[in-house]
Amino acid sequence: MTWLGLTPAQWVEYAAFLAAAGASLITALGVLLAPRVLHAAIWLLFCLLSIAALYALLGAHVVFAIQVLVYAGAIAVMIVFAVLLLERGTGRGILAGSQHLFAGLVSAGALTAVLVPALAYTLWKHARAAAVSGPDTGPISGQAAAIGRLFLTRHLLAFELISVALLVAMIGALVLARPDRRRQEPPETADEAEGQADVSQWHPPLNVGAEEDAP
Amino acid sequence: MTLPPVGLPHYLVLAALLFAMGLFAVITRRHAIGLLLGIELMLNAANINLVAFSRYGGLGPTTGLGPGAHLDGHIFALMVIALAACEAAVGLAIILRLYQTLATTDPNKVRAMKW
Repeated sequence: MTWLGLTPAQWVEYAAFLAAAGASLITALGVLLAPRVLHAAIWLLFCLLSIAALYALLGAHVVFAIQVLVYAGAIAVMIVFAVLLLERGTGRGILAGSQHLFAGLVSAGALTAVLVPALAYTLWKHARAAAVSGPDTGPISGQAAAIGRLFLTRHLLAFELISVALLVAMIGALVLARPDRRRQEPPETADEAEGQADVSQWHPPLNVGAEEDAP
Repeated sequence: MTLPPVGLPHYLVLAALLFAMGLFAVITRRHAIGLLLGIELMLNAANINLVAFSRYGGLGPTTGLGPGAHLDGHIFALMVIALAACEAAVGLAIILRLYQTLATTDPNKVRAMKW
């Protein structure tokens, strides 16, 4: 039994895709339109979760889990923490603010105007053929084991490099965010700060040591 | 009229839209963290592409590429997520340090290396 050429299972997949894709687009709009940076960061958290749902639809179970754990669980929450630290420093909510709206609209619009029609054309032209040839899924049950094995064989170099990169980023974040104990008075404005860059002794208003917990 | 089932182009269109929105955020935000949020959106759009290509075999048959070639896109996506974690950690540390030393988080006001 088919309707519009799709079986019920395909309709279910269609509905799930539309729900996840719509959620990710709406939450991404929230990131763009939220007046406060804190709200934009929380919108991003939900955007990352709906993108995780898309990974689940694509059968990428390991990437789904890592997206929820690392991206939504660590990165987004770390951004929220950083915004809260900054708001504590400034004593008020941080506004996102916009500039170059015209340049942004032109470049984003041009990118969309080139990519989406091209891809939509491909959709109507080749999607049937792609569906007939069948998606290249491979076995899904042993995906975690297979990815682990790949990391230790074919992609061993990338695996080792990513460990080094994470270590360097961790040390770099620690060094950068370490409280500077030589200064005393926080400069009022950026211009004043430039003038007194070498004035010593102020205790920063931020507990930036929390940055150590970066993944 | 028949509708094509959900396939590679659907995911590519979605990723293109998300990437354009991230680009818009990077260009227009006046706060450094807003910029970082846009970069995260763009990274995620690229990740969707990688996993979708891996699922629908956009590169043709994977036989002859060795075992597990159908999972290469997943490996790429995991690498991108790990690098995004690095980028967020260092980026946020720089922004906090910027606020400590210059008392601003507006990238336009940081002119020490401009002329």
